[in-house]
Amino acid sequence: MSPYVSKIDRRTALKWLSAAAVTLAVAPTMARAATYVKTPKGYGTDPDMLNPTSPWDRIMTDRQLQLTAVLTDIILPAEGPHPAPSAIGVPDFVNEWVSSPYEQTKSDQKVILEGLDWIDAEAKSRGAKGFVEADASLQLAIVTAIAKPDASAAHAFFKRFRHLTLGGYYSTPEGFADIGYIGNVPLESYPGPDAKMKAMLEERMKAIGI
Amino acid sequence: MKQPTPYDVIVVGSGAGGGMSAYVLAKRGLKVLMLEAGRDYKPEEETPMFNTNAEAPLRGVSTPDKPFGYYDATVDGGWTVPGEPYTTAPGDREFMWWRPRMLGGRTNHWGRISLRFGPYDFKPYSRDGLGVDWPISYEELAPWYDKTEKIVGITGAGQLGLENTPDSPPGILHDTPTPRLHEIMMTRAFEAMGIPVAPMRAAVIQKPMDGRSACFYATSCGRGCSIKAMFQTTTVLIPPALATGNLDIITDAMVYTVDMGKDGRAKGVTYIDRVSGAHKSVTAKAVVLAASAAETARILLNSKDGRNPDGVANSSGTAGKYLMDTVGTDSGGHIPMLEGMPSRNDDGMSGAHIYVPWWGYQQQARKELPFPRGYHIEVGGGQRMPGMGIGDLADYSDVPFGVGLRQQMRHHYGSDIGFAGRGEMIPNDDCYAEIDPDIKDRFGIPVLRFHWKWSEHEIGQAAHMRKTFHEIIDRLGGRVTYGFETDGEKAIAAGGEIIHEVGCARMGADPKTSVVNKWGQAWDVKNLFITDGAVLPSNPDKNPTLTILSLAMRNANYLADEAAKGNL
Repeated sequence: MSPYVSKIDRRTALKWLSAAAVTLAVAPTMARAATYVKTPKGYGTDPDMLNPTSPWDRIMTDRQLQLTAVLTDIILPAEGPHPAPSAIGVPDFVNEWVSSPYEQTKSDQKVILEGLDWIDAEAKSRGAKGFVEADASLQLAIVTAIAKPDASAAHAFFKRFRHLTLGGYYSTPEGFADIGYIGNVPLESYPGPDAKMKAMLEERMKAIGI
Repeated sequence: MKQPTPYDVIVVGSGAGGGMSAYVLAKRGLKVLMLEAGRDYKPEEETPMFNTNAEAPLRGVSTPDKPFGYYDATVDGGWTVPGEPYTTAPGDREFMWWRPRMLGGRTNHWGRISLRFGPYDFKPYSRDGLGVDWPISYEELAPWYDKTEKIVGITGAGQLGLENTPDSPPGILHDTPTPRLHEIMMTRAFEAMGIPVAPMRAAVIQKPMDGRSACFYATSCGRGCSIKAMFQTTTVLIPPALATGNLDIITDAMVYTVDMGKDGRAKGVTYIDRVSGAHKSVTAKAVVLAASAAETARILLNSKDGRNPDGVANSSGTAGKYLMDTVGTDSGGHIPMLEGMPSRNDDGMSGAHIYVPWWGYQQQARKELPFPRGYHIEVGGGQRMPGMGIGDLADYSDVPFGVGLRQQMRHHYGSDIGFAGRGEMIPNDDCYAEIDPDIKDRFGIPVLRFHWKWSEHEIGQAAHMRKTFHEIIDRLGGRVTYGFETDGEKAIAAGGEIIHEVGCARMGADPKTSVVNKWGQAWDVKNLFITDGAVLPSNPDKNPTLTILSLAMRNANYLADEAAKGNL
């Protein structure tokens, strides 16, 4: 597999595309009082929501980012028209998350970065140069082992890493298309579920006696 | 220095109470100055319509900077405002206080649920001997509900005839959009339990009105609404008030005292310019406080002088007292019946299309329930825009990763539902706000210290909510996924957490036990009015904003009448 190339530029280029068409508003410049106290290193309490930025430095090493790319794609491999996570910048998102200055992500920072280093060392201990370089069968064996529910740190890492991969993936337009989210489009009227769907529901409700 | 404009009325605050007061007074021809503590805010220009979570930092999740998520229409605030703390008295339960710093206040992100209080709700003491009666009846407020609903634009048309759950007269309300798939299912389960379900009454317009576009059933209302379909004072009340030419607005103006004249009348207010830090005083013939219930109390209590040692309008000693919030708790469930259903657009009007009004009035009258007052149920679910929570669906998957996981995610998407109870809290002597003796904000103004304690009435209600939710989830063939605890003491949300804090300057018929009369006029200061949630003597389960708006409309008209008669 070719090395992961950060998708940051493309992702930050996605700006408020559909909104401009219906609201007629142009992206404004907002005047703000300079005296407002901002949370150090965060995006502040009055961020420009139309031009979002996550202003903190990214802390993953390139090796950790490469490993993240390989692992996200093992968790959710490409399928038909649905791209792999690494093709739509999910590894950059995981890096953004573990690098964030906010308290909520601090525990993830430790779990994810230590987990990535652990899984690399695990691949080495099984004779590979590292997890990225390991052949597909070894990668699969290691992930299969840590996916088994137990109290280990390796499984805790797997759960959090999968959570970040899935959240990062399905919150994108590509993820919407896969999972079947068809909203976020302006409608003249709200149709609700169609007759066929209601009939399906009716049968299921009858089956449980309500 | 003489003020260039002589104002008739100063309105402190620009949310539901302040926005409506300024609208009425400006329309009635009075010269109005509105003072807002936060910055100017224009939903038409700033609302992140249609933006995906992927475009936001951290996929839009809650952070200390934006506690309801990146796109939430709250500026410089939330549970904390930088440099403007509040405290909870040692030993008391925590009280949480949500404050924004923006024009329009909390109407920019509110939940939009707009229920009328019912006839019982105005006379609760007469019914069960708890709390106090209001000095007005439902019949007195009903015409003002009518007028308010016509301006706000609210769904829920229909005549249901449910007990203590007033319908609006025909022709006022808009039709509620058709229920979503999971809402059809929930309705069936509630009805199987003998509990009626009602179309949601939400402040989201379904047909164009007054230069506002109808809802187009996309993008979350909590971000604000650039097409003005949902009610915000910044799009619905403040622009027409400005158009009269009678309203001036100063933003970043943090009011901290009502200034009293020697004649015992209010002569104006003093505020801090939050940008420059300068203290400025303005004068007017009358003052309206609508800074939000607790902030209004803070202003009264901080307005101490030789003649008012306990603060202005506080000869009763009840300013800051009888603080209430809404009783809240929730549970969620995973419903196999909803697995594998085809894709559908569940965006709708953002919030739920149905709700469950309180159904137990007769049971309570027969003393069959271990708590005296009611709650309504709000519902959630559906195939909503995915954010970080979507990762939890993997917990239902029999494929932990790799080939097959995508199929499992599709299969389970939209099969989780949630219920939230919202119940009446009875005012008690242990819940109040006072001035903290030690702590000041960054401007040097003393802050509020909250005292909080739930009584057995609220605790018992929270337990009943949880048990009801568990029963519904069970009847639907599902299993509970959160909100397991049925001990009400543990299940109940923190005071203030539901963001329905009201009271602190209640209206009454007796000047010895209330701060304002039935017109929101201070007993002690005839040209001082309060038009926010502070005046509520009780806090029925039916979310307070519509009632705050209706009272503000009624009482601002009374103020204008009195001004015209020269009585202020």
